[in-house]
Amino acid sequence: MFGNGQLRGHVTRLIEQERKGRKDLLVELTEASLVRRARSGELEAMRQLYELHASRVYTVVRRLAADDEMAADLAQDAWCNAFQKVRDFRGDAAFGTWVHRIAVNTALTRLRQRSRRRDLEQGFDGRTTLGNPDRQPASEAVERVTVQRALDLLPDGYRSVLWLHDVEGFTHEEIGARLGIAVGTSKSQLSKARARLRALVTESRTEVVDHGASQ
Amino acid sequence: MVHLSNETLSELLDGSPAPGVQEHLASCSVCQGELEVLRRMRTQLRDLPQLDPPPDLWSRIEERLPYGGERRRLGRPGRVALRVAAMAAVFVIGLALGQAFQRGESGDEGARPAAGVPLTVVDANEPASPASLADAMAEVRRLASEYDAALMNLQRMTQGRSAPGPSSLARQRLANLEALVEASRAALATDPADPVLNAYLFTAVAERDAMMSQLTSARGSGSGVVWR
Repeated sequence: MFGNGQLRGHVTRLIEQERKGRKDLLVELTEASLVRRARSGELEAMRQLYELHASRVYTVVRRLAADDEMAADLAQDAWCNAFQKVRDFRGDAAFGTWVHRIAVNTALTRLRQRSRRRDLEQGFDGRTTLGNPDRQPASEAVERVTVQRALDLLPDGYRSVLWLHDVEGFTHEEIGARLGIAVGTSKSQLSKARARLRALVTESRTEVVDHGASQ
Repeated sequence: MVHLSNETLSELLDGSPAPGVQEHLASCSVCQGELEVLRRMRTQLRDLPQLDPPPDLWSRIEERLPYGGERRRLGRPGRVALRVAAMAAVFVIGLALGQAFQRGESGDEGARPAAGVPLTVVDANEPASPASLADAMAEVRRLASEYDAALMNLQRMTQGRSAPGPSSLARQRLANLEALVEASRAALATDPADPVLNAYLFTAVAERDAMMSQLTSARGSGSGVVWR
């Protein structure tokens, strides 16, 4: 329960949101309802929560894992972990943020296990198959695909640090804690990852141009 | 000329360059170009599209969840007596809600409670754990009875501000209905077969769904919520 002051704060927030024309309040209320029902064990509520955030969760694990099959496994583990822990969800953050965090942690744990089995650099041989002779360079769509595929070719350690820092907004301290590495190592990995990504993208563009010129 | 290293360019990208680096950058078009490439790549990374999960992912997740029977247990009492009780409860609570909102919409001064009327709603994050069935039922009834007072007090508070519009009240109503649903569920967890509690749950769920439907259609048409 909460008292007068908290309710007034809640009402004030509702009014301010109304004034700002926020469109997502209904979604928030719906989501809060779904979370409560999921905590009661309602499968349908879980399915609806999944539908709301499936893409976001899958995207982050897929970006970190760089592998479709592993990403599906990770997403499955993340969602099962989330629903098993949903009774512990206190609402300090939005449910989407909470499950996203679980997904990141699930992926990083698995990647660390994988990295123990193979060196972080293994699998990267400096050569790529990014070039596609059927495509013309420089268009926005091609650049996006190029960056996406170059990201997949980075070693796990580079890709994780790069994605967590540049896209997820993690600090080096947070990355260090999650990956079990020093802050300095995180910074170093980040600069190397950026340089490697840049080299892969450049190489890809060169290949595309070469293929185009030879046709 | 010696150009900036990858590490230094990376620091520049993050806005924390070592002393003297900015001076070099200002006079070196090559390093400026490198920095711009890194900046553009970072933007492209952030702009990568969201991905769709495999179509069968939910079914794989569902297989691992141990909750299959819960929904049926709570949602289908399956007894005529319960349906009758539910209909009666719909009528009683619906009447009370309707009166409350008629007062709220018309701004009837005489309907306002005295200042200082205590307001309580269920905290969405606080797990309801009634100590006994009697406690749970009392909680449900208390929520239902306080619903009127909360709505009127809400009206009193919001009238002190520039008119919030009907949708704010609609949202508050929705939140209160959610509280009622939650309390009913908590009570039912204690005794799933109790007909009165099932009736409360049916009532609150029906009201909530109708409310959400109204809000959704009002948003779609751009009109206000029409109270039932």
